[in-house]
Amino acid sequence: MLRAGQPGGAPPLEMRGVRKAFGPVVALDAADFHLREREIHGLLGGNGAGKTTLMNILYGLYRPDAGEVLVGGRPAQIRSPRDALGHGIGMVHQHFLQIESFTVAHNVVLGTPSSRGLRLDLSGAEERIRTLAARFGLDVDPRALVAELPIGARQRVEILKALYRDARILILDEPTTNLTPQEVDALFGSLRAMVDEGISVVFITHKIREALNVCDRVSVMRAGRRVLSVEGREASDEVLVRALVGEDVDVRRSLLFSDERAARPTPAGRPALRVEGLSVTSPQGAPALRDCSLVVREGEVLGIAGVAGNGQRELVEALMGVRAAAGGRVWLDGTELTGAEAARVLAAGVAYIPEDRLQDGFLPKADVAQNLILGFHRRPPYGRGPWLDWPAVYDAARRLIAEYRIRTPGPHEAAVNLSGGNIQRVMLARAFSHPCRVLIAHNPTRGLDVPSTEFVYTKLLELREAGAGILLISEDLDELLLLSDRIAVVYRGQIVGTLPRPAFDRYALGRLMSGVADGG
Amino acid sequence: MLTLVPYVLASQGTMLAGRAGIFNVSQEGIMLAGASVGFLGAYLSGGNLLQGLVLATVTGALFGLALAYFTTTLKMDQFVVGLALFFIGLAISTLLYRLAVGVTLTPPLIPTLREIALPGLSHIPVVGEIVFRQNVLVYGAIVLSLILYLFLYTSGPGLALRAVGEHPMAADSLGVNVPVVRYVATVVGGMLIGLAGAYLPMVYTATFTDGIVRGRGWLSIALTFFGGWSPHLIFFGALFFAAVEVLAFRVQVTGIGVPYQVILMLPYLATMAVMMPTFRRLQIPAFLGKNYDRERRMLL
Ligand SMILES: Nc1ncnc2c1ncn2[C@@H]1O[C@H](COP(=O)(O)OP(=O)(O)OP(=O)(O)O)[C@@H](O)[C@H]1O
Ligand SMILES: [Mg+2]
Repeated sequence: MLRAGQPGGAPPLEMRGVRKAFGPVVALDAADFHLREREIHGLLGGNGAGKTTLMNILYGLYRPDAGEVLVGGRPAQIRSPRDALGHGIGMVHQHFLQIESFTVAHNVVLGTPSSRGLRLDLSGAEERIRTLAARFGLDVDPRALVAELPIGARQRVEILKALYRDARILILDEPTTNLTPQEVDALFGSLRAMVDEGISVVFITHKIREALNVCDRVSVMRAGRRVLSVEGREASDEVLVRALVGEDVDVRRSLLFSDERAARPTPAGRPALRVEGLSVTSPQGAPALRDCSLVVREGEVLGIAGVAGNGQRELVEALMGVRAAAGGRVWLDGTELTGAEAARVLAAGVAYIPEDRLQDGFLPKADVAQNLILGFHRRPPYGRGPWLDWPAVYDAARRLIAEYRIRTPGPHEAAVNLSGGNIQRVMLARAFSHPCRVLIAHNPTRGLDVPSTEFVYTKLLELREAGAGILLISEDLDELLLLSDRIAVVYRGQIVGTLPRPAFDRYALGRLMSGVADGG
Repeated sequence: MLTLVPYVLASQGTMLAGRAGIFNVSQEGIMLAGASVGFLGAYLSGGNLLQGLVLATVTGALFGLALAYFTTTLKMDQFVVGLALFFIGLAISTLLYRLAVGVTLTPPLIPTLREIALPGLSHIPVVGEIVFRQNVLVYGAIVLSLILYLFLYTSGPGLALRAVGEHPMAADSLGVNVPVVRYVATVVGGMLIGLAGAYLPMVYTATFTDGIVRGRGWLSIALTFFGGWSPHLIFFGALFFAAVEVLAFRVQVTGIGVPYQVILMLPYLATMAVMMPTFRRLQIPAFLGKNYDRERRMLL
């Protein structure tokens, strides 16, 4: 059982001189880390800085090349997740480790000592899950199939897995990336409840605002080392950003911290993308997108706001020709693209940044260069008839790797070895490196660090200046407010309102997003 | 009923390893080795069938162990290792037989498995004789399928086994020992396949010939797929296949005007026809055929 309210709580934890290399890539170089009792410790760092690697070592998934771990002041031998769990360490991974065809309860009890017997006591386990869920505000139905749960609920399942094993130290690797603002608040509430019961939390994030809001202490990693640790009270955006990127970025001039309401000339270009009455039916037969009409003008960023799962994915996939529409028409520059396949849509001048970079438009086993030209491989300069001009492909890849600062040993590296943020850079490099009339970007900065996010924003605005139309679908309201000329809100598959830039208002948008107001 | 046994045993053995993510393709070889060793074990001990069965099971276990070692410990490609083991099984089955028996004019014989009538039940008219008068392995195959079904879907270790075949990293991250699960499943699976091989000389031929397995090993892979890697469906699939096979044999003996090649195809076609609709909905273990390495990134 959980030793609730036990004085002292979780033991302090320390990592010293940790080094880890993957072939030629040195992920960690003499990194250290110190977690106190009863604290929420924020861990920041650029893409590929080594945050996940450090925590995977703590959790026994990776073996360090050098260094030691001390739990409660004593050296701990952690050779496997089982050892880590034995030391009371639990981890929620960046990409959930769940078996989708199992129920929540099955996912939770898997591997626990009580599940090693021949008879599985599921009702006991379900009871315990419900108790824990109630105690920490992690509501979830233990009998539900994981595959059918929304992302927020799956996140709670991951946390329950750790709590079920009496974890006293909980590592959360970018837990907020996929959550709605309400879910983020709820998560923070749960974390506080855990700290009150003596659990310590390591919280990895890219969002400085989050780190400042909830963390008792914040550490920053850069290039495989911890470069800064400060008390939450003493931290500020400026201090953190400086530590994150070194001295070479001017924080004050950064786009990220610019005024999101800054006035901007209203674009009056011709329509670049026009959609009329688009409807999509889900595989289960329910309407997922209903009668959606919109226009993206040249030189305009049209933002689409909404809580995830309100038809955004269907809209994007129907536009890109990867999902069949039930009705409606689509034009690009006056050319009808209704029902066109993805290859034709791309050839017509639409660039695409998919939301789920691990599932769509990404080949994990192919190398970086192949991923960089995917979708453009049939046309010059890469394709010559049925053949590929490999020297041209690798030359272009080297150029893009440099230009987009993709952290990889080279164009021949398997793409799966890139860190999450670097995978996104590959997708961006691909979308931005070819001339396009319209860009469809779905959550383009999810999981990206500060400089990368800034980079994406700059590129998007450059593209807008060049006269392309941009459809930006995002769950990050700050991002939409910063970049959009107009914002349309989707709710239950319908566009329920559109606001022009002068009328932008966070709360008005929030009301539309939760379906309580009708916009004009 | 009689013909059901090798299919059930070999397919369940395939299923067990597959549920741990190891795709065994050496059934034909393991069954040949099992048949040869099983026959020799019984023959050389003067007709002790039990000794033959035990030795065949041990042989199967050794094959399973080799498969697990090369794939799980040495991380070699599962298909390559499986095919190599198939050829090794093929070779040693003949080799052992020649060494022990040599070339003879009349084949050496062993007794076949006796049928056991279940008291009471076998007196039920018609059905009683067909269903409840069988050799011990027929009952064994039925009970085994039931046990495997319960094991897989209601027990803790069964849950761990399924998890390893679906998402080994998820299982690993919760403290399940992935290599151990893979070893055990593959070795036990090998035992069942070896046993399936030994059944053939002890029921059909009473002797060993090179062609004794006749593709049953390969077929068991197909049956495992058709059964969606689930013990109960595999059992019914094998039952159906065996039934049509017997039927086809009867038709062939009575001789109606159909070329016998067509009749020989019948079991395969009928099974495909019946299982296809279910096959489309069924799932195979997500990690089937892949090796797991904790430190290597992989995406499912
Ligand atoms: N299993 C692995 N195999 C090969 N390279 C790896 C592996 N894991 C991490 N790396 C490399 O090590 C470096 C650090 O990666 P890590 O995932 O720890 O970064 P991170 O700080 O978590 O970044 P992000 O914010 O993008 O998630 C990266 O360059 C990455 O490509
Ligand atoms: Mg990471």
